[in-house]
Amino acid sequence: MGTFIDFIIEHLAQFLQFTAFANMTIGHVIMICIGLYFIYLAIAKEFEPMLLIPIGFGILIGNVAFAPGYQIGIYESGSVMNYLYFGVLQGIYPPLIFLGIGAMTDFSALISNPKLILIGAAAQLGIFGAYCLALALGFSPTEAGAIGIIGGADGPTAIFLASKLAPDLLGAIAIAAYSYMALVPVIQPPVMKLLTTPKERLIRMKPPRAVSKVEKVIFAIAGMLLTTFIVPSGMPLLGMLFFGNLLRESGVTKRLADTAKGPMIDIVTILIGLTVGASTQATTFLTLKSVGIFALGAASFVVATFGGVMFVKILNLFLKEGNKINPLIGNAGVSAVPDSARVSQVVGLEYDKTNHLLMHAMGPNVAGVIGSAVAAGILLSFLA
Amino acid sequence: MQRRIKHFLTGIAVLLLIFVGTNVAKSQSAGDLKFNEILVLNDSSAVDDFGMHTAWIEIFNSSYNTVNIGGCFLTDDLSNPTKYWIPTGDPATLISARFYTVFWADDKPTRGIFHLNFDLKQAKTIALYNADGKTLIDKVDIPADQKPDITYGRPNNESTQWVYLEKSTPRSNNDYTKKKSAGEVFVEIDPYGIGMTIIAMFVVFLSLAILFVIYKNMGRFFIRRGAAANTPKSGEVKVSTKFSEEEMSGEVNAAIAMALYMYQNELHDYENTVLTINKVSRNYSPWSSKIYTLRKSPR
Repeated sequence: MGTFIDFIIEHLAQFLQFTAFANMTIGHVIMICIGLYFIYLAIAKEFEPMLLIPIGFGILIGNVAFAPGYQIGIYESGSVMNYLYFGVLQGIYPPLIFLGIGAMTDFSALISNPKLILIGAAAQLGIFGAYCLALALGFSPTEAGAIGIIGGADGPTAIFLASKLAPDLLGAIAIAAYSYMALVPVIQPPVMKLLTTPKERLIRMKPPRAVSKVEKVIFAIAGMLLTTFIVPSGMPLLGMLFFGNLLRESGVTKRLADTAKGPMIDIVTILIGLTVGASTQATTFLTLKSVGIFALGAASFVVATFGGVMFVKILNLFLKEGNKINPLIGNAGVSAVPDSARVSQVVGLEYDKTNHLLMHAMGPNVAGVIGSAVAAGILLSFLA
Repeated sequence: MQRRIKHFLTGIAVLLLIFVGTNVAKSQSAGDLKFNEILVLNDSSAVDDFGMHTAWIEIFNSSYNTVNIGGCFLTDDLSNPTKYWIPTGDPATLISARFYTVFWADDKPTRGIFHLNFDLKQAKTIALYNADGKTLIDKVDIPADQKPDITYGRPNNESTQWVYLEKSTPRSNNDYTKKKSAGEVFVEIDPYGIGMTIIAMFVVFLSLAILFVIYKNMGRFFIRRGAAANTPKSGEVKVSTKFSEEEMSGEVNAAIAMALYMYQNELHDYENTVLTINKVSRNYSPWSSKIYTLRKSPR
């Protein structure tokens, strides 16, 4: 009988060693708190809930401490989470997300006022500002490139590039990119207000002209060919973006477009969010490098906003009265679609209740998506 | 019609010219295989799977995809290109991307598919032919002055020149020197990232500026075309409309679209039934009869 009780006690003790309580570290607790905070932000504050809920819950999943060797963790070969993470590591999910983005994006604002495209280029300054800062802080060139792309304010692009240049930092970069995208309404307005005068904020822009279907179809094809001929390494992202847009604009592939912008992008968003969140295991995530990445990410958003707004101000020097651009749409050059365009609208309405900037801001906003993908391609070409 | 066909054919010809002029893409097939290193006099170098020191030939898959060498031919006699047929259907003949495989030139083909039916003692040339036995994939002339255990090969994977190598490296890269990554090389010259910023911003601006130029001009073209379409031809009486497509701003279009949307979606309360004018007939069928689908009560 005594032997049997010993047997029970011994196995209970053994089982306890397998529980998360026994393997928990302070790092896991911190990460779980961060995950809970993300979920709180998503539900209570409605900050990017589509992203923060999967990422936040992924953080919880990734930080349930387990005994290694049972194919449980995301970094253990053969585990379910490891299989799902494969799409992140190999850069499969980001192009699929771009396909969906292409299928849901209306480039009319851009086509009707093509000079807005250039704002999308100027705002990429944030990427290279962060790249320079990261080099100065001692990050390796590939790490600096992967960190810099946070400034593009584009989660899928950041994941795509980080998976190629610095897979070790992927979790931190993805979390930083998505966190700051959610915080666009907090980060951008002070910079926009600081850089503009009251008179500039009241500039009214001409309403965009109607764009024909032919123009939209040509845009999807010409846009893909031109951008990928210049930067072929951006092809996975740009190709899928414009392909999705052609599905939408051709008018004859409605079912495909609906799938791309509906169920497919939803599925991939769930997978990418959950696995990126789960990749933040305390043991790999809580490092000084992650702190540096978060600091650089914030700086890159500020620089990107600065670049966009200042470019519009400079452009206005050469534009005739009546054709001038409201510099409050300069911030939308980062590719956080449509959040940064919404910020332009909200800040614009603060100064003139009847001056709606949303449609104008969508131009640089979608140009920013193209610009950040091109920038990612350039970094990949030089650093990989 | 003839003019259209002429334009179409001209377009095809231009596309073909562009294709021919720029076709440098890799085919990702057996054509990407190339000889990489050979050892003619093997005294104490690598041993085969029978523990024998024999001459060997290393082949490199220069493509970025797995290539099957099965079905190709190896020979030491150009007048007999199909001297040794590499068997098909064996997974060992699959060469991974940027990887190597070794054939033993020992004239003992009974020892396995990687053992050739010739050796290199008298060989002046070795060649690899495609599965058709005619298309030459790669060929190497072997100098006469071969030394024991000194391999002859390409100094690196991209080189076209052949030299005597300091180390024999079967199934691995001939260039074993420490290399800097592209990023490290870039940062050596540009430690603060200023150069990268200038180049990258230039390229981003260039890409989007080209789109800008094209769309600016295309926009003008479409506006002109729209205006021309609205201008009545001579003798034609055109009913004047208050708004042309171009005169209507995006905001007007948005308002119309919103009104239509609301009309279509919010006109009625939500109803979960379908109204139909089709005849609803309920013809009797034993397949749908309740009598046959209900369990009978026990007596």
